[in-house]
Amino acid sequence: MSPTHFSWEPFYLVVAAAMTFAYVRARPSGRWRTASFTAGVFLLAAPLNSPMETIAAKRLLLVHLLQNALIADIAPLLVLLGLTPRMKAWIAAHGGARVRARWAILAWLLAWYGTHLAGFYDWALDTGWALNIEHGLLIAGGFLFWWPLVSARLSPPAALAYLGAGFVAASFLGLAFIFSSHPFYSFYEHAPRLWGLSPIRDQNLGGILMNAEQTLVFLVAIGWYVWRLLEEEHELGASAD
Amino acid sequence: MDRLADSHLAVHMSQHVVIGDAAPALMTVAVRGPLLVFLLPAPLLVRVARARPVFSFLLRPRVAFALWAANLGVWHVPYLYDLALRHDGVHYLEHACWVVAGLLVWALLVDPGSHRRLTVGGRIALAAGMFAAGQVLTDVLVFSFHQIYPAYPGRTDQQLAGVAMMAEQLLTLGTLAFVLLRPRLRRSARLLAA
Repeated sequence: MSPTHFSWEPFYLVVAAAMTFAYVRARPSGRWRTASFTAGVFLLAAPLNSPMETIAAKRLLLVHLLQNALIADIAPLLVLLGLTPRMKAWIAAHGGARVRARWAILAWLLAWYGTHLAGFYDWALDTGWALNIEHGLLIAGGFLFWWPLVSARLSPPAALAYLGAGFVAASFLGLAFIFSSHPFYSFYEHAPRLWGLSPIRDQNLGGILMNAEQTLVFLVAIGWYVWRLLEEEHELGASAD
Repeated sequence: MDRLADSHLAVHMSQHVVIGDAAPALMTVAVRGPLLVFLLPAPLLVRVARARPVFSFLLRPRVAFALWAANLGVWHVPYLYDLALRHDGVHYLEHACWVVAGLLVWALLVDPGSHRRLTVGGRIALAAGMFAAGQVLTDVLVFSFHQIYPAYPGRTDQQLAGVAMMAEQLLTLGTLAFVLLRPRLRRSARLLAA
């Protein structure tokens, strides 16, 4: 199959369409929110329904890891940032309020590490249909992880601790890919190569991409909460004066 | 460690972060409070007091951070890194720069004399800025596809050097952030419980 061939995971097209329909029906306000939600839904559906899916599922681990980073880290965050306060209140009233930060981070890490275990990964790639499960777990983990932050239930110090813990705990997977000297997944060992990348080089580069993406996302989020912390102090100082 | 640093970049990098980060951090923590006044002999203390305007300038948060970041960047320029390896004098100067730059920023982060040049948020921001700046160098080392320093062949060694730096920064700056944020975390938890 040509690497430019389109592959599909129609379930996520339906999910993206349903989310967009619900969003439009709820009459969103604010240009930035709408842009964020649109970008999030696009990043949720496009990597799974494009040539990226073909390369990820048939050729290169590097592209599969990039795909995972997009749908698990960036897309859920953008979708949640696109929600209006009313939408967030609705989600909180329908179970969101019961999501505890400590369980959310644990679920996210379980999804992150669990789906990358060699047995599960190879099984998902071999069967094809099980990729839907892998991606579903990653997306759900992403939503769970970002929800306590976006729903503003964590104070800036707690958010910084949460992000710091997430950053450290998640980084080991990328480092394992970067420093590995043998391929983890037999599927990619035997897959037809692309762009002259050997299986081990492909895996090392995948780890680099994964770590770079997480570093960027987490440092931006940490920077935002440091800013909030400083503003909080400034307000406290102003009220004390 | 110094002997191994000649042949392994990861060890050399670890040496730098120990003398430029961990050691200044521990030293500033060790002299917190009244001990700071008795640290230096009286005649030396008088001279230090005379140079107060210089220290006040160097300990301005933006100045200290700029010096620390410039030191980090400059000494990792391949030409200078190799020059330091070839000339002992330059190497000693490099290590002295690490210690001085480290002491400047850690004096602000730990604030051993309670000068309150930075609020807690400001100290967290400085720590985050240091981590972000260090991360840039880490990423260059880890994500580079070629050897940056001719004296150290081996890409794995280079990548390990980056990871050593990141791990050390996470440990020192992470511990500091935790210690600074802990009272606020407890306050938030109490408020939530109430």
